[in-house]
Amino acid sequence: MAGDSARCWADRTLSGFAAVLRKDLRLELRSGESTLALLALSMLVLVVLVFALDAAHVRSVEVAAGALWVAMVFAGMLGANRALLAERDNGAIRGLLLSPLDPGTLYAAKLAAALIFMLIAEVGAVILMVIFFNLDFDASTARLAPILVLGAIGFSALATLLSAITGRTRSGDMLLPILAVPIFVPALIAGVKASAAALGGAPLASMGDWLRIMIAFDVLFVVAGYLLFEQVVGEN
Amino acid sequence: MNHSAIRNGLGYTTLALMIIALFMVFDYVPPEAEQGIAQLIFYFHVPLAWVAFASFGLVAIAGIFYLWLGDQLWDDLGYAAAETGMVFCTLMIVAGSIWAKPIWGTWWTWDSRLTTTFILWLMYGGYLMLRASADDTPQVARFAAVVGLVAALDVPIVIASVRLWRTIHPAVLVTRQGGHGLEDPRMVATLLVCLAAFTAFWAWLLMLRFTQLRARSRMGALAVRIAFARAAAADLK
Repeated sequence: MAGDSARCWADRTLSGFAAVLRKDLRLELRSGESTLALLALSMLVLVVLVFALDAAHVRSVEVAAGALWVAMVFAGMLGANRALLAERDNGAIRGLLLSPLDPGTLYAAKLAAALIFMLIAEVGAVILMVIFFNLDFDASTARLAPILVLGAIGFSALATLLSAITGRTRSGDMLLPILAVPIFVPALIAGVKASAAALGGAPLASMGDWLRIMIAFDVLFVVAGYLLFEQVVGEN
Repeated sequence: MNHSAIRNGLGYTTLALMIIALFMVFDYVPPEAEQGIAQLIFYFHVPLAWVAFASFGLVAIAGIFYLWLGDQLWDDLGYAAAETGMVFCTLMIVAGSIWAKPIWGTWWTWDSRLTTTFILWLMYGGYLMLRASADDTPQVARFAAVVGLVAALDVPIVIASVRLWRTIHPAVLVTRQGGHGLEDPRMVATLLVCLAAFTAFWAWLLMLRFTQLRARSRMGALAVRIAFARAAAADLK
């Protein structure tokens, strides 16, 4: 009996998760708002950094890796603000909260959607970075993939949790970077260092310490977000 | 013994300890041989660091208890601790910076402990901005508790990442070879008195702010009850 109820719970959770995620993805497919905005913003940040650092003349993997992460953080912030905004606009969040969905599942679905949008934008940002910073498409670019995925998981987990908070305050959108960036620092340091090493041709095995920090960050914030989302998403 | 008696007692203890601490730092303790007078800042810097980190720990503990029990008391305590912690953290960074200029030749460097402290300072700055950007409702109290808790959980990862990044901060209290760098017993005595003085000062400020916030919360609750009573009276008419 216990096994049955556990399976029933898992089925219900999974179907709820899939329903919310499907809704968000369909909205995105029809409007393209989040991914396009993320891509455009990543591109603009990269362009600004090319001018600011005069990257057209120097070929430096450190600068390129740094620029990529700046683009990721700033674009990701914008995407995270949008994730729950659509639900707030016409009180749709109330419907979600009234449904038998548990808040942790809602968090997981929102996190998955934010992560997918962010990964799509990152692919675009990497291509642009290679072109803008005069690098080559080779094995080192491919080695960026696990690093960027780990960074995106941690960032989406943190930003999804915090945007549920900042969306309800007077300063709103401005407050999200103020809260999220300092907390994201460890993953940012590790990500920039690992990305620069990867672009410089180092194998993934040589950056184990950095990857471990990113994994610890991801695990911590996915779990914390799952458990704490209930506290911040409710009506009062 | 009532609260105000404890509070006043703490205030006078702080005053007495501070006078003794100043005397010990400027007259009693021998300055360290190489650094000279600049080293005396150490006796303020370390106690400031201790109370700053203690208050940030208190913010996280108060946050956990608030989320668990939902008692307004814990929210008031967390708020008071965050504010006092911010003051002491700022003073610690300023004091460290004044020491670093003659000794390291620079006001600021991205050493691991400096970076960690600065990130902590930014986190709690964000916490206070969150509190300032919303009215005092149970909802905001929960938001603040979540942010305080998440920030505290992040600290070990910040320390690990930044230590891997770089470090040059002197390890005075526990050196890398083991043991500590305070060779004269008068230095240890001075440090202990300074720690006591700043801890008393911190506890006093914390208690002042905490009682004030408690009073405000109770007034808010009273105002709600009065409003309800008025509405009920209007209904009766």
